[in-house]
Amino acid sequence: MLIKRKTDQTRRGARASVFASAGAVALDRRSFLARSGLAAGGLAALGSLTFGGVRKAEAGPVAANVPIVRKKNMCTHCSVGCSVIAEVQNGVWVGQEPCWESPINRGTHCAKGAASRELVKGERRLKSPMKLVDGQWQKISWDVALDEISKKMLEIREKSGPDSVYLLGSAKFTNEAAYLFRKFAAFWGTNSVDHQARICHSTTVAGVANTWGYGAQTNSYNDIRNAKTVIFMGSNAAEAHPVSLQHILAGKEQQRANMFVFDPRFTRTAAHATEYVRFRSGTDIPVIWGMLYHIFQNGWEDKEFIAQRVYGMDLVRKEVEKWTPEEVEKVTGIPGEQLKRVAETFAKQRPSTFIWCMGGTQHTVGTANVRAYCTLLLATGNVGQFGTGANIFRGHTNVQGATDLGLDIGTLPLYYGLAEGAWKHWARVWEVDYNYLLGRFVDKKMMEAAGIPSTRWFDAVLLPKDQVDQKDNVKAMVVMGHGGNTIPRMTESAQGLEKLDLLVVADPHPTTFAVLSGRKNGTYLLPVCTSFEMDGSRTASNRSLQWGEKVVEPIFESKNDYEIIYRLSQKLGFGEPMFKNIKVVNNQPVPEDILREINRGGLSTGYSGQSPERLKEHMANQGSFDLVTLKAADGPSKGEYYGLPWPCWGTPEHKHPGTHTLYNTHLHVKDGGGTFRARFGVVYEEPQADGSKKKINMLSEGSYSKGSEITDGYPEFTYGVLKKLGWDIDLRPNEIETIMKIGGNNPDAVGWAIDLSAGIIRVALEHGCIPYGNGKARANAWNLPDPIPVHREPIYTSRPELVAKYPTRPDGKQFRVPNIGLSIQKAAVEKGIAKEFPIILTSGRLVEYEGGGEETRSNPWLAELQQDMFVEINPVDARARGISDGQWVWVNGPAGGTKARVKALVTERVGRGVAFMPFHFAGWFQGVDQRSKYPQGADPVVLGESVNGVTTYGYDPVTGMHEGKATLCQISAA
Amino acid sequence: MARMKFLCDSDRCIECNACVTACKNEHEVPWGINRRRVVTLNDGLPGERSVSMACMHCTDAPCAAVCPVNCFYTTADGVVLHSKDLCIGCGYCFYACPFGAPQYPKVGNFGSRGKMDKCTYCAGGPEDDRTAAEYSKYGRNRLAEGKLPLCAEMCSTKALLAGDGDIIAEIYKERVAKRGYGSGAWGWKVAYKDSVAL
Amino acid sequence: MVLQFIRAMRILVLAAFVAFSALIVAPAAQAQQGAVRPTEQSLKEADLLKALKSGESVAGRVTIPDRKSGNLIQPEGQEWRVFKTDTLPRVGAIAILGMLVLLGVFYAVRGRIMIDSGRSGQVIERFGAFDRFVHWLTAVSFILLAISGLNITFGRSLVLPVLGAEAFTALSVFGKLVHNYVGFAFMVGVVLTLLIWVKDNIPSGIDVQWLARFGGLWHKGDHPPAKRFNAGQKGIFWSVVIGGALMSISGLHLLFPNSVDGGIAEVQWQSMIHGVVAMVMVAIILAHIYIGSVGMEGAKEAMTSGEVDLNWAKEHHSLWVEDVLKERGNAVVHPTGKVAAAE
Repeated sequence: MLIKRKTDQTRRGARASVFASAGAVALDRRSFLARSGLAAGGLAALGSLTFGGVRKAEAGPVAANVPIVRKKNMCTHCSVGCSVIAEVQNGVWVGQEPCWESPINRGTHCAKGAASRELVKGERRLKSPMKLVDGQWQKISWDVALDEISKKMLEIREKSGPDSVYLLGSAKFTNEAAYLFRKFAAFWGTNSVDHQARICHSTTVAGVANTWGYGAQTNSYNDIRNAKTVIFMGSNAAEAHPVSLQHILAGKEQQRANMFVFDPRFTRTAAHATEYVRFRSGTDIPVIWGMLYHIFQNGWEDKEFIAQRVYGMDLVRKEVEKWTPEEVEKVTGIPGEQLKRVAETFAKQRPSTFIWCMGGTQHTVGTANVRAYCTLLLATGNVGQFGTGANIFRGHTNVQGATDLGLDIGTLPLYYGLAEGAWKHWARVWEVDYNYLLGRFVDKKMMEAAGIPSTRWFDAVLLPKDQVDQKDNVKAMVVMGHGGNTIPRMTESAQGLEKLDLLVVADPHPTTFAVLSGRKNGTYLLPVCTSFEMDGSRTASNRSLQWGEKVVEPIFESKNDYEIIYRLSQKLGFGEPMFKNIKVVNNQPVPEDILREINRGGLSTGYSGQSPERLKEHMANQGSFDLVTLKAADGPSKGEYYGLPWPCWGTPEHKHPGTHTLYNTHLHVKDGGGTFRARFGVVYEEPQADGSKKKINMLSEGSYSKGSEITDGYPEFTYGVLKKLGWDIDLRPNEIETIMKIGGNNPDAVGWAIDLSAGIIRVALEHGCIPYGNGKARANAWNLPDPIPVHREPIYTSRPELVAKYPTRPDGKQFRVPNIGLSIQKAAVEKGIAKEFPIILTSGRLVEYEGGGEETRSNPWLAELQQDMFVEINPVDARARGISDGQWVWVNGPAGGTKARVKALVTERVGRGVAFMPFHFAGWFQGVDQRSKYPQGADPVVLGESVNGVTTYGYDPVTGMHEGKATLCQISAA
Repeated sequence: MARMKFLCDSDRCIECNACVTACKNEHEVPWGINRRRVVTLNDGLPGERSVSMACMHCTDAPCAAVCPVNCFYTTADGVVLHSKDLCIGCGYCFYACPFGAPQYPKVGNFGSRGKMDKCTYCAGGPEDDRTAAEYSKYGRNRLAEGKLPLCAEMCSTKALLAGDGDIIAEIYKERVAKRGYGSGAWGWKVAYKDSVAL
Repeated sequence: MVLQFIRAMRILVLAAFVAFSALIVAPAAQAQQGAVRPTEQSLKEADLLKALKSGESVAGRVTIPDRKSGNLIQPEGQEWRVFKTDTLPRVGAIAILGMLVLLGVFYAVRGRIMIDSGRSGQVIERFGAFDRFVHWLTAVSFILLAISGLNITFGRSLVLPVLGAEAFTALSVFGKLVHNYVGFAFMVGVVLTLLIWVKDNIPSGIDVQWLARFGGLWHKGDHPPAKRFNAGQKGIFWSVVIGGALMSISGLHLLFPNSVDGGIAEVQWQSMIHGVVAMVMVAIILAHIYIGSVGMEGAKEAMTSGEVDLNWAKEHHSLWVEDVLKERGNAVVHPTGKVAAAE
């Protein structure tokens, strides 16, 4: 009888008729097609849609008769920015639904996003504040925890100065929390405030910003649908940014586009390429120069684009000449013909885009790699147009926003830098006296000196005091939302942790920092809620800001970042001035108020137009934004780009639509158009071989954005420039008043970025001009260590014979600590390390896990899918070592006797002589299981060795980025 | 009459496992039971393809045919469901299934597999739609809510299609025509004695 | 000289030609060979299925530890399904019904085989207590297994419509439990059967004679000589031992599927062996039950009291009676109802 119930014709028929007549309540055709995965349109040939099986909703799904509240937030994992719909009953998140309206993910997720709900079930979450007492975790109250922490911090400040407290923030912060944490550092008096961008795309930001102005993805995931040729280099987006592949594969299909994947490893992304190119880890520059060799030889470069918008390409030409196909093949392993074919396709079948990730950035030459990629784009005219660009896929949910908001050792929020002018700008925004801020630092020099990068904090603890350029060694570390296993040299990191006087780990889970060392005391764990348990905005990789709604109240005793930062600042004595303009209710700073403060100060990067109201309006009307252009066709946000991608110029009232594609001269600036930023002056005096200097016009020549009243290059706008143009008459009285107040004796020098009235910006845009000026992009970045990128072998290279010709950069000192890469490289060559450790070790992501992995490895839905840390090894290498698939092996690192016990995954994904390990695992260290060291009930489901237990020394001189992709190892059966 | 099917477009599938965790999430599927899984063929080799697989809700389902207690039934939508009240956990459906779909809560020795569990096409079981009893045994009944299986709805690249067999076949055909390649509707020949002509 | 020159030239030209064509071909071939074009080279389902040999599956890698779940498509299941829903019931029906028909016909033609010389009133011990324990251990467990097993094959069509779904499931669950646990009792029974009776079941020349005369079953008064076990009984013995072993081994595999290395294909094989052997054994045991009960006067006592009528023994196991009497004297024979005298 039960069998009859479901096949009951009359009942089923009745439902079918409900469906047929009331499409609104059941599935209508459009939503069916969306659900079935078809893009809008198509299928027109199909007549009526018989869809008898779909029934009308009758009652609540989980608990009957309890109303369901739907909340919209974003996935907290990668930077794609997928919307998550949460169904909440009685304050409990009971169901997760696809968010069809989001133009970014259109309802879809990867394994992590589809398992989001578990984060706030949180069986393995840290449930209350904990303190380590003689090696045992003890539960304590928030008050006691914050009291003790702040007391100790003040003690250290007294004795060693504010720079001895290391502040490590998070790419998982909301924009508002990131901004608060940066502000917290400023009020505490240190620039040693960093976050995951250091180990992610710091070299991208430096390389890209030094090329054309801003350090961000130029286009968007959606825009790749327009590309005819796509190159991935060191990006395994299928695992790291799975939802981006929705756009890329759909674009590949619709455009019949070429998709090249360059990678030392045949990745899941490579499996979908039209052509896969294997090359040796760490040889990106020779690969790119090898391509440019063919491009220049055959005249495939975009000559007009270069002439109008690029400086320094002739200097690149000289370097490229050295990279004959033979030399390229010798160094990279790519046959000349193959590279020629790729180069020709990239140059000719445009629009072409170039995608890179950590495979490019995590190198001692990370910044130079990025510069080489940009140069390739510039040479082929593939920037500033739909379907082109540097599509930099960022790693974490808000790593773009956290970078923008200055969780960075080298700048205040929004790339103002650390110079006096920057401090004065933010002092005006914060309405505090500049001298008050100055007084918080050791001195003006330290106030303007970049801090210590997150890759080197332990060196700043362990090195002799005189080698660290600050008053004292680092004595304390406050980590909010950063894993401890994502940075190489973990054995040193463990020693550093042991030597700290104070360690505070504020995170939803006890991270590796909590268990790595043998600390017995002075360690605090603070339970922080996830972004699902708080309101706030986050910036996706494509610069779109999305506002997330609090789904449920923070679970257990966890608290949100805002409250923790606020209460700590109160205890440390600067809460009042810091929160002067931010409303605080019940110890909770109001995130909307924080965003408004960001808007007021964030002129330089166009973080000024995205008011909380506008963002919320976008979230409520996601469905009106186009899948490809991201522009709203109707609704209250009509004409605006989704999430008001920065730069969104002026004030919210100016209603700038945001900028979908950067530097796009085909659009009016008021419609998101732009030019390369005139960031590098008006004239550059280029040194010549004979010692003389050649004057170079750094403004663009004959290229300008659509509708520009100045039909040539122009410098960035100041009040003085406006006056010269006679456009100052367009300024309103209140705007002039503000400019006068800021400018004091010299109002002409007040630039667009510090004019708090946004009047200069407004007037420039009115005249079709971009406030930052119309300059040339730089193929020659004269201020960088290698102005034209040159190949440099990895410190631990598998090809020691190439070191003499392509050595790493000389030893030096950056970011307060020494960088002795060359000494180590030389020693490795002399000791014959490559013979003893013949396998190239590279690392990367798994789709199931993210970052340090504490959150994802604690989620049983994900953890079940990857239960063991492994090393990928080629069948030939495995056979030679008597290793079979699934067997335990030791991976030995080339420095310091490091080792890791992992499972062998014997696969052709890696070539001969190459091994790959994912970096999300922790909890085993050098062969020892550390599970017992976690607080009870808060240990992740899956533990394993960290790849960074065996990775090695190596730092990019520009940003301190570590070498995470090219070192050596030996593997043996365990 | 709508005939529900699954179709995995492996030229889109990137083995992101969203289908797997979406299923876990939606139905609170316990550790060790995988109603859906992604298999990568020719791993690491040029022809590599990943395919998401679960119960295909076969036409003339072998599981139903071999079940000694006849606990399977096919709904009017072509969805193959079973009753956990009737299942005796004998494992025969697993022997017969061409897709390895049936799962058992225990390791399975000594005939103690427990009641069989498998993909329900998010259509619950024989209990009344959307009741607690149905949810606890089979998970949510999305079809009754006018929704399609969550695995397909959440598929990152829209590789996994669910819905009326004719329509998803049409969608797949259009894709293949547009892009010029297609590795086939995996499992269709075995499950439906039918394949999508490309 | 000239000829030599021409020959040399020819070789040179040839060499040049070869080298030249190599030059043309090499880069193209190299590029073609070196280029990895995943979209173009993608696997096709149709090709894989075509190339599939019997017992193979389309398999790959999964990230979960259950490696068997890497089997994506295994069309084998379809064949097993045919076996389970078609072949096995047919084999079973033919074997069991066929045997019942045969026995019926035999009964109708031959009737009950009586003791030709009538009961003597004297009995001789044929099976001791342990012998009988072993027999009944094996017999009872076999019957339980047979019923619960037949239920799995035939219950759905025969019992389910009568009992209804819920009651049938309850019965089947009980049957499954019985089957899984009683199986071990059966295995013990089979092993003991082998140990205690194997020495009397070695085939010999007498068996040929016995078989040639079909045990004398056709004709009244025809009694071919036999030792402790005649050829028919030896047949049952070896059926139980060999069939029981097959049942036990395949049954253990099915009970512990995770210990099976061959994956699903091997489990399928084991279940096929289990099913077919079971049906055959049920048929054989039916014959055994027939002849031990209604089919023959005086036979069932052998496994009840353990003492059979002397005349019955002489008619069916003449050589055995001779042996026993020779060995142990008349003391083993005593009137019905009396206990044999203690030695």
